[in-house]
Amino acid sequence: MELQDVYYDKSDYVETASGNKVCRRTVLCGSQNIILQGKVIVQAEAIIRGDLANVRTGRYCIISKEAVIRPPYKKFSKGVAFFPLNMGDHVYIGEKSVVSAAVIGNYVYIGKNCVIGRRCELKDCCVIEDNTILSPETVVPPFSRYGGSPGVQVGNLPEVQADIMVDYTRSYYQHFQPHKNPL
Amino acid sequence: MPLYEVEKSVIVLDIGTSFTKFGFTSEPAPRSIYRTQVKSKGQIRELWDYRDAQDLYDMLVDFFHDIYFKYALNSPKDKPIVIVESLLCPIIFRETLAKVLYKHYGVSSILLLSSHLVSLAPLAIDTALVLDVGYKEAVCIPVCYGMPMIHAWQALNLGSQTIHKHLQMLLNEKNSGAQNLSEMTLEDIKVRCCFVTKKSRAQQLQTLKPQIEMCPEIKYPVKGSTTISVCGTTREKAYEILFDEDADHLCLPTMILDALMKVNIDLKHQLAENIVLIGGTTMAMGFKSRLKEELLCHSKEERYKKLNIKCFKFHTSPSKENYAAWLGGAIYGSTDCLNTKAIQRRNILKKRNYLIGRI
Amino acid sequence: MSAGIIDIDYVKYACTCGLLKTLQQLYFCRYCSELRCSFCVSHEVDSHFCGKCCENLPSPEARVKKNRCVNCFICPSCHHELSTRIASKQPATPEEAKATKRTYYLSCLCCRWSSRDIGLPDQTSATGSWPKRKTFMQDKEFFKRKQKEKIISYTDKTGITAASLRKRIGLPEDKPILKLKNAVKMVTPSIAQEDIDDFDEEVLTKSINLLEITSIDQRLLQPDVQPVEMNMIFPVQKMLSIKRSLRCRSCEHNVSKPEYNPNSIKFKIQLFAFYHIPEIRIVTVQPLRAGVPAELLIKFTNPTQHQTTISFLPFDTPIEIKESTAEVGGSKGEDDTSDLDKSLPLMKVIPSGAKVMALVDSHLNMSRSSARMVTPRPLDVSINCDVEIPSSTFILPPRDDAAEYDDFNEAHNIQDDKKLVIWRKSNKAFIKLIVTPKEDTSIGTVITAGFTMSHLYTNTITSVAENKKPQKFNHNIKLILDLGKSVGSE
Repeated sequence: MELQDVYYDKSDYVETASGNKVCRRTVLCGSQNIILQGKVIVQAEAIIRGDLANVRTGRYCIISKEAVIRPPYKKFSKGVAFFPLNMGDHVYIGEKSVVSAAVIGNYVYIGKNCVIGRRCELKDCCVIEDNTILSPETVVPPFSRYGGSPGVQVGNLPEVQADIMVDYTRSYYQHFQPHKNPL
Repeated sequence: MPLYEVEKSVIVLDIGTSFTKFGFTSEPAPRSIYRTQVKSKGQIRELWDYRDAQDLYDMLVDFFHDIYFKYALNSPKDKPIVIVESLLCPIIFRETLAKVLYKHYGVSSILLLSSHLVSLAPLAIDTALVLDVGYKEAVCIPVCYGMPMIHAWQALNLGSQTIHKHLQMLLNEKNSGAQNLSEMTLEDIKVRCCFVTKKSRAQQLQTLKPQIEMCPEIKYPVKGSTTISVCGTTREKAYEILFDEDADHLCLPTMILDALMKVNIDLKHQLAENIVLIGGTTMAMGFKSRLKEELLCHSKEERYKKLNIKCFKFHTSPSKENYAAWLGGAIYGSTDCLNTKAIQRRNILKKRNYLIGRI
Repeated sequence: MSAGIIDIDYVKYACTCGLLKTLQQLYFCRYCSELRCSFCVSHEVDSHFCGKCCENLPSPEARVKKNRCVNCFICPSCHHELSTRIASKQPATPEEAKATKRTYYLSCLCCRWSSRDIGLPDQTSATGSWPKRKTFMQDKEFFKRKQKEKIISYTDKTGITAASLRKRIGLPEDKPILKLKNAVKMVTPSIAQEDIDDFDEEVLTKSINLLEITSIDQRLLQPDVQPVEMNMIFPVQKMLSIKRSLRCRSCEHNVSKPEYNPNSIKFKIQLFAFYHIPEIRIVTVQPLRAGVPAELLIKFTNPTQHQTTISFLPFDTPIEIKESTAEVGGSKGEDDTSDLDKSLPLMKVIPSGAKVMALVDSHLNMSRSSARMVTPRPLDVSINCDVEIPSSTFILPPRDDAAEYDDFNEAHNIQDDKKLVIWRKSNKAFIKLIVTPKEDTSIGTVITAGFTMSHLYTNTITSVAENKKPQKFNHNIKLILDLGKSVGSE
């Protein structure tokens, strides 16, 4: 199906020079540690915990409503340390998902209501289905589809997944438009 | 170990109704044992629940795709394969299997082996009465000097499936909320809680007021929140269905005796003293000793009087019973049989009845 | 539509073999100019890698390691991957801290099982040195196997010596070789026992803790041992995964070949239909009522670097399958005769069977691949909606990556049938079709429409080789559109 236009209230969103569209009703902690590379959409009530460690996204990332991006921690004998969270290009994170991965590759799709446990590694081109719980330190190899609780591999992806994701995130960005006649 | 020492490994497969045993020749145990299921169009289906030949063809293509690219990690083309199957395997299954392997995957040859015969290989014997109790049915075929005695075969619909149904019934009697447990849960209850009891106790259990002390009850958790109680009688009675005579006075022990009735008189005693049990269901605790008790008891009946057998002996497999047939296949597959007896791809066009010739 | 990326299966393309697939799942063999799908190409193992540590293993090494990763383990309790943990035992004194090295153990972050649960000692190095489970294989069985093999001189054939085999199967070194040799010579058949005692009286009185007994899946994870008690389970090495290359069955050319690196998502050869065949998406459809015409808006996208013309044909237009021979070398025979199914009755009919068989056989050897061609099957679909086939055609310009960054609607000078083409931009066009669900469809049935798309395909493969002009021809594909459920009358 062709994507339909999604309209937003212009007063609600900030658009940066590089094309990032960030909702005012988001919680961006430690914003100096958050780098959005451009054409990134951060929707209402999303939380990005830049205060814990650096968060870096690629281009064309979509962070949906109420998603939580939280850098992972690791326990040491002397205490707890947080590690930066790096995200590739063309990543989609669904509504209400909590992401504590260490690395998210390019062309990754995370459905809604997912929990990505701490220090998971999502390689390029993978799909996490809706309502998946990935246990900590899971490695999701390229071209695989994970689902279930706890998340296991449930299938493979077509070889053109990268192009599908490019197309999807780009057209999402294009269809994400301000209301034509604001009230 | 230098790499060149690795000989060409050949896949050995035993496609059971419930579990598939997969491994390579000249290995002592299968690499993996997994459920005989196929994921097609998003749903998981049992391979043996096929609708027609085309449906089976498609499922087998998916099934072997998993075998080659998920388990064996080997390209199928121009490689031989060993298949262990029951002599009573339906023609449609065998033909479709051959079509899938030769046509779709282009294997060079298929070695089809009879499960009853090859399960004697690890024991290094050639005469025995083989009883295979699997998921759907129990099949008993005597093997004499390396020849299966087809005319004496016995089969009954007794297997894990029957036990699961029986267990469900028993659980329903004691638990109101135990309706419609999944087959997987029933299997788990069976494996972890139930056992085959002794004959003396079984007889007591059938009376209204058993004069024995019950074994402890087990609380089995279902879906995390609720528990069902698996009481002592249930634990002991689950397997009883195998030993209860049905309307035709048939049960597991009578199958063996009926098979013995049909073979030559000279072989009867030899076969009775060489009984081999294979199949996952025979792994239940107490199964063998109970079967022996029942055999001795039934052989005194009027109908089996002329057998005049007083002694039954059982072989102990060096492997687990559920992959005994697979192990036999692995041994046969590592011998010259693979080159001489396998059905070559290039020959199948010459023979219309290519699937009849085998060891 | 939350899973927009996951299930785009409203539009299905009919593959040459007759299966219905989405465009993303299809391949396009440029040499045969045919659609192929995962069912009708042959799969080959390209490289082995471990899905957890993403390390590559050469195929022979993978075979030696029994297709298992050396460093990664999975949990014997819940089948998840185990993580290596550093033992956090504090040394009592500073001297002790210097003397003792770091130790590691395996732990499952999913079910909290750890290698300490079974009393496995902590290891001094993080990878590799995990103790192998002692082989529980009874010597007896091995001797028997060897006997069997010896009889048929298997050992002689392969050049494997008894000593190397012994090493391979993990028999202890210290056993005298002499004994093995003796055992090989004499066959000791198993002796049947009359006394069997596989009933444990304890079970009648002992209460059972379910947590101490393994489930059937846990048992079968270790097929050789099949432990019954939880303290017998042992970490299992993780199975390797593979990268696959796909090959067209008719011309033996690769349609997909991945790069070697496990982390790479690039391909050396990528003949995916997504890059060659126009993509169709449903944009909107008016409410469907039985017998009432409705407007259907679909979007066409041209993924190629060449301009294409698209026309519509009725759904039941026959599609001839081209002989794969002419363009490519011509070494392949006709598919009909070498096809397994058809050749069998053929032999019956012709009286001089022997000659024919020889012919077929030689034919088979010559074109082995075409014998493995997948026989096309009839489409498994029921169309319950008529599509008004427009007589006019329309043009799709080539794809232009730069246009993606161009926000202006560029002027185009393409003369369009305004009834057909509603709107266009770069290589995309929105097309209006009129669909009419059949009279007898009841409310709530899924409406399926179908038509044949004919698109002009420019094949550049021959032009490169022979310095000719690119070959252009019309390529027909059957499309099946799922339009959703029908609704009642207004």
